[in-house]
Amino acid sequence: MNTMIQDTIRRELVLRAPKERVFQAIADPTKIVSWFPDRVEGKMAKGERSVFDFSDFGKVAIHVVASDPSDYFAYRWVPSIGASEEDPLKQANTLVEFRLEEVSDGTKLTLTESGFASLPKEVIEKSLSDNNEGWDIMMARLEKYMAA
Amino acid sequence: MMQLDNQMATVFNALGDPARIEMVRRLSSGQPHPISAVSSGLGITRQGARKHLQVLVDARIVSLEPKGRDVYVHLTPESLDVAKVFIAEVERRWDARLDALRRFVENQD
Repeated sequence: MNTMIQDTIRRELVLRAPKERVFQAIADPTKIVSWFPDRVEGKMAKGERSVFDFSDFGKVAIHVVASDPSDYFAYRWVPSIGASEEDPLKQANTLVEFRLEEVSDGTKLTLTESGFASLPKEVIEKSLSDNNEGWDIMMARLEKYMAA
Repeated sequence: MMQLDNQMATVFNALGDPARIEMVRRLSSGQPHPISAVSSGLGITRQGARKHLQVLVDARIVSLEPKGRDVYVHLTPESLDVAKVFIAEVERRWDARLDALRRFVENQD
């Protein structure tokens, strides 16, 4: 249990593009590299593990749980700040979901990432300190002074 | 290296000074203190103390409350809440990725 009160992040946006094109941009490994990871290892197929390669920011394994053209694509991963190639299903992970709906202007995309409330506190702290030089030093200094 | 979110960078800067760290420590009981109590004995002028406090206000670590002839300093440490900082960073990254998705799918004609 951690101090996280918020469990879910949610974003909604309308894209001026047909639903099929948006779905392919999300679910097709040859297309997702135009806006998300730099490279993908694996096919991003349902039930399989693939790896998002973010170059300098490292590699992150995903486990695709659903790929339903052109409505819904979802995967699990270890929360996005840290990089981990290990199987996300074997550790605390979040569920990322892309839902698509045709609207008059194009496609409404609803993105949700959920599961933050069940992440252990140590995972969050490690993730922040791995990726922000000085974070752990700063927190240690603050704790020391608070305890004095 | 990872670019810090603006708020995180502001917090780091705020805590990276010995006078400001001491001021925050004095407030850590949770009780508001007048400015004079927060900044006494630090070898800084009253003007210097106000400058330091403004840095902490901008980082949302403290807030100031005028009370009669005094100004009281309250600790409001939401910026130090690890969980909130983490979620804010994740949201920031998604916003950037969704902008990139938009540019990709809307520019294909």
